[in-house]
Amino acid sequence: MYSSDKPFIPPQVRETPTRFRNAFGKYRVHRTDACNASGQCISACKLGVNKKAGSRVVSPNDYRCLGPECPMACFDTCPQKAIVIRKDPNFDTLGDYRWTPDLLLSTYYMAETGKIPDSGLEYRTGGTGGGFDKLRIVFPKTSKKIIPGEVDTSIRLNRLDDGRPEVEIPIPVYGGGMSFGSVSISAMLGRMRAAAAWGTFACTGEGGYPDEIKPYDDHVITQIATGLFGVREETIQRVRIVEFKYAQGAKPGLGGHLLGDKVTPAVARMREAVVGSSLFSPFPFHSVYSVEDHKKHIDWIKTTNRRALVSVKVSTPTDVDMVAVGSYYAGAHIVHLDGSYGGTGAAPDIAKKNIAMPIEYAVPIVHRFLVAEGIRDKVTLIASGGVRTPHDLIKIIALGADGVVTGTADMVAMECLRCHNCESGRGCARGIATTDTELVNLMEIEWAAQRIINLFTAWRTEIQRILAKMGLSSVRELVGRTEFLAHDDYQTAPLDADVE
Amino acid sequence: MNSHEYIQRVLASRNDLYAGFDKNFRFPQEAEGGCGVTGFCSSIPVRGKHIYQPSVQMHNRGNGKGGGIAAMGFIPETLGVGRDTLDNDYLIHIADLKGDGIAGLEEKFINPYLDVHYSENIPHMDDYRDIPELEVRPPDIYRYFVRVKPKVLSAFAVKKKLTHMADRDLEDECIYQNSVSINKTYYNPQGEMKAFVMSHGRDFFILKIVGYAERVVQYYKLENFKAHIWIAHQRYPTKGRVWHPGGAHPFIGLNEALVHNGDFANYYSVAEYLKQRNIFPLFHTDTEVSALLFDLYSRVYGYPLEYIIEALAPTIEMDFDSLPEEKQRIYQKIQETHIHASPDGPWFFIIARNDTRQRELQLLGITDTSMLRPQVFALQDGPVKIGLICSEKQAIDATLESLAEEDPRFGTVADVYWNARGGSHTDGGSFMFKLSGTVNADGQRELICADKFGKEISIPRHQEAYIPGRSYYVLDGGSTGSIDLGDTFRSGSAEGLFNLFTACLKDWHFPEVFEFLKEVKRQAEKSDAAFGLALEIFTMLIDRRYPTFDKKRRSLVQMYEYILNAMLLALPPISDRATQCRYRLIDFNSRMDIRAAGAGEEVLAVDASRFEPEGELSDSIILQSAYRLGWKRFIIFRCKGQRFYGCGFGPNTQGARMDIYGSSGDYIASGADGLEIYIHGNAQDQLGQIMKLGKLVIYGDVGQTFMYGAKGGDVYILGNAAGRPLVNAVGRPRVVINGTCLDYLAQSFMAGDPLNGGGFVVVNGLTIDHQGSVYPQATPYPGSNLYSLASGGAIYIRDPHHLLVEEQLNGGVFADLTEADWRLIEPYLQENEDLFNISIQKHLLTVDGRQKTYKEVYRKVTAHKLAALAKAAELDGLEEYE
Repeated sequence: MYSSDKPFIPPQVRETPTRFRNAFGKYRVHRTDACNASGQCISACKLGVNKKAGSRVVSPNDYRCLGPECPMACFDTCPQKAIVIRKDPNFDTLGDYRWTPDLLLSTYYMAETGKIPDSGLEYRTGGTGGGFDKLRIVFPKTSKKIIPGEVDTSIRLNRLDDGRPEVEIPIPVYGGGMSFGSVSISAMLGRMRAAAAWGTFACTGEGGYPDEIKPYDDHVITQIATGLFGVREETIQRVRIVEFKYAQGAKPGLGGHLLGDKVTPAVARMREAVVGSSLFSPFPFHSVYSVEDHKKHIDWIKTTNRRALVSVKVSTPTDVDMVAVGSYYAGAHIVHLDGSYGGTGAAPDIAKKNIAMPIEYAVPIVHRFLVAEGIRDKVTLIASGGVRTPHDLIKIIALGADGVVTGTADMVAMECLRCHNCESGRGCARGIATTDTELVNLMEIEWAAQRIINLFTAWRTEIQRILAKMGLSSVRELVGRTEFLAHDDYQTAPLDADVE
Repeated sequence: MNSHEYIQRVLASRNDLYAGFDKNFRFPQEAEGGCGVTGFCSSIPVRGKHIYQPSVQMHNRGNGKGGGIAAMGFIPETLGVGRDTLDNDYLIHIADLKGDGIAGLEEKFINPYLDVHYSENIPHMDDYRDIPELEVRPPDIYRYFVRVKPKVLSAFAVKKKLTHMADRDLEDECIYQNSVSINKTYYNPQGEMKAFVMSHGRDFFILKIVGYAERVVQYYKLENFKAHIWIAHQRYPTKGRVWHPGGAHPFIGLNEALVHNGDFANYYSVAEYLKQRNIFPLFHTDTEVSALLFDLYSRVYGYPLEYIIEALAPTIEMDFDSLPEEKQRIYQKIQETHIHASPDGPWFFIIARNDTRQRELQLLGITDTSMLRPQVFALQDGPVKIGLICSEKQAIDATLESLAEEDPRFGTVADVYWNARGGSHTDGGSFMFKLSGTVNADGQRELICADKFGKEISIPRHQEAYIPGRSYYVLDGGSTGSIDLGDTFRSGSAEGLFNLFTACLKDWHFPEVFEFLKEVKRQAEKSDAAFGLALEIFTMLIDRRYPTFDKKRRSLVQMYEYILNAMLLALPPISDRATQCRYRLIDFNSRMDIRAAGAGEEVLAVDASRFEPEGELSDSIILQSAYRLGWKRFIIFRCKGQRFYGCGFGPNTQGARMDIYGSSGDYIASGADGLEIYIHGNAQDQLGQIMKLGKLVIYGDVGQTFMYGAKGGDVYILGNAAGRPLVNAVGRPRVVINGTCLDYLAQSFMAGDPLNGGGFVVVNGLTIDHQGSVYPQATPYPGSNLYSLASGGAIYIRDPHHLLVEEQLNGGVFADLTEADWRLIEPYLQENEDLFNISIQKHLLTVDGRQKTYKEVYRKVTAHKLAALAKAAELDGLEEYE
């Protein structure tokens, strides 16, 4: 647990390369027959792309290769000119506009090394031509000299001053709900361990509280969603934060559904339901049809666990400001807005992006409304639904959030491919969103945890760099500061050191 | 003139009413949550202070940013007018928001058109700041008793082309349009807001403020002001700052005041519908449009009440098919015409209405078709008669208690409590209490209670209510010695004493009953064992149903509770460590003295009356502490809607037991994991959510969304469950409901295979009459949705006449009831027999006087097994979990 009198020590980065034989990269290094294994290329490349293998030279790490523009230029160094660098044909087949191949690879890179990719990959924005991808960070001239490493990235989660514990997390990020059933136990544990290492939290989603995550109780957010699957008094009492999920930005008004194929005996046992039958969570809480019901619901949890903070996760309807203020008056500590960009492949395409408001619209509406109400400093406003990069995080906080929740980014750190087949059968090709007993073995918990730890190390470094450059010494100073943002449609300055 | 033309002309006459009004401006709907609503209707006029208590009870359903009351049916002298004026004049309330007078308004809209027979600036407290929690100065209210000047009226008729209208209808319309003009001028949402018409009907008024509803009573000094009908509303606007009460409820049509608990999804659709009929909302809440709709249907369309209700809450599904053909034809027309204005979403209305055509005052409650808001109706008959409608039962009990304290002709317990089944063919989702226009010899009005179809709810008149005299209030005198139970207590069992009492009940009068009960109390004081025995007797008397002959059960229950409470209040307090006694008493004042049980101390009695219903000052928190300190047995009494009993005890609480008396609140046993809870009376909403293990027994009805997401537990209910019991329940909950439920029982039930450790619900479909006899309800399950979309568990339903049909199942199938099934449920029915005296042989397996086999009586509903799934389960070797 993080508190200001006991300085938080960030977890260690450990190189955690891909768990598959071949990593995805942007380029491939080929050698012609002319190669005489002189080894010049090995010393030329500082990224360790090339290696000696017996009497031959090979390039097992060519996924790190920076391509023909690389200043280290092994291809020029080669006395035989035997090295040919070509774009990896797989590269263009990866991802989508939201998660471009560049974003996927740079996230893989961050998860492997804990560092921001130093060149070559566009790690800041995606290619949607809208939303975060149209916002730029603007750095005004500042005389303040701030050392990036000293920038405070912690945020407070309880601002109600209601006698419940002050909870602070050292990074403005925690992990969003992914249920046991929708993801494997290894994926779940990986996220929990990483959250514990980072002194932050990760949410169970709606699917029970597997015994395996018990050691991480202090870093678990247990979710109460409309199906109440796996929710027991015991699980509510274990944790420090309880999250009510009213809706998910990716599919508001649709409830949750776990298709029959994924309801394996283990999942069914956890949820105490029937094997092979699709599990539907109703779209409303049957017990909550109004804000005073909602208050009663929160009162119940507060009675059951008298130390827990309560988070209310809602999607972003047009009256999202009213929803947020209602949650505050009902006693919620955290108002969690989930915008429309998130969601795994299991969310129906017709719903994704078509129902709720984008998160970058919703956050400023709510932020300003709460300011006008005079209660902004009583609410912890958390945003999610499409926060992919540290840049996205900076943008949404500048728009008015206090922190963010990630989901897909964690999955990508675990080498999710964004193939969108999460819901089909039992088979996530990468062994993440699966409960199949064999596919689960594709991933080690240790590996998954370290990848996520690394990712957030890289994020934090980047956040600190940006904040320092803005002249801010804490992420808390950024909340609602839209002057640090510009929209592509209205600014013409080229991307350079002052605009990213 | 045909009615179509009549309607068109009235609507057309309002055409220029909104001149200068930006008709296309889309005002944002004011957001607000559900609220607390309460109302009652009495055969005698009662004081305003009696709406005070129930309003306080519903504090947690509002947030102090809007409260209002309506009162109807006055004593003329108290308003400074004669009977004739009261009956025939319009009583107008104009709210002056700025407090700087409304001379200009009078000049412009009152004096030129209306004959004012009486007017006043109504009295209020000098300084609103003297009232706690009141942050905004309530408006000054100007009251007028008026008639439209005859010349003005005839000119109005000619100008508006309404010469065809009957005089009184014309005058109604004239008043209505005049008020619209006032509001348009002085309450302009785009401009200045100075004043508005709060109410303008006959024999009723509305008052509302920014604050809790009961503060209205205080501020406008209505504590002693009498009326036949009172309704109150606690508002929960989610907008932060509110400076005037324009958005508070009740809202008006003309002769009706409407309060609302809920939220429409189709506000714009309804507003659009009204706009097409030249009606424009000014206050932008869904409640206002509801009131406007009601007025439109009743006054312009001239619909009888039944059709108005149908237009608001349409009858659907199997209920529609069950209506007589003629009704189906009419209802279909109504639905075709008005479905766009039918409020969609969770709502519950309470309406006070002066039906001037029938000369009848009415109090109505209407629920939406899906019954998404809580609602309780109650009726008490006796020397005086009262009907009550509330969002929570404890508000009803609080009203009755408040009334009984002033006038012993009221009892503290109602004769019947019930819920309406929304949009149904059985009651239409609505009940109304109707007061005759005339007053009989002893100053009372005739009160009749009926459902939407006019079917009367009546209480047998041959049973008498007890009117407590002085002796009732003086317990200290003890018994007069006419009964001595000393020997019986020493040797007897509770069962024996119970039998003795019930045998004597036939011949005894109330004073003798009272004498007996007092003697039980006196004996109880002698020893722990005697106290335990007495407690058992009182509990049996409250729980069980038995013939009460010429006496009303509610009067007996009132006595039992009165003496039981006195007995419990006399227990040694928690601070007393010296007295040798099994019991200790804790209340709000002594709550900080909570400590571990000393030697020989076993039972903690909690006087709930002054605890908060939730939060850190609630008794559920004290119970948690007590449990952690080692207390295992709890008696909670004098409840007034306190919530969350049994929550937060943690896992594995086997061996703990809780007995709850009084008006218990929501969420009891939610999360229970082992302990036993007995509720001696009706229970409220959201009980047993995510319950895992343990036992819950309810000696009465239970409210909405009972056992939502439950994982287990053995549960027995004597009466009915309201809507949505056991939605999304999984694991192995085992439930016996002796009554039935409104609808949606076991939707998405996923409780495995009951024959293999999974869960089930037994529905007996019985009811108990005023003499304690058990007989079957008209149908064991009236709703259209039973076991919808369920994939596991089973329903065992007592249906010897096969009244249930496939159409009600939505995914389930009727399956053969095997011997294994009977072996599974029989022990539960046996336990049910022990708890409630509902005998397997005498009641359950006896049909029309004949003994039947279980196969002839019970039917099983189970999941439609998909062959593929069954196979998959087999391959995976799923073991059932116990």
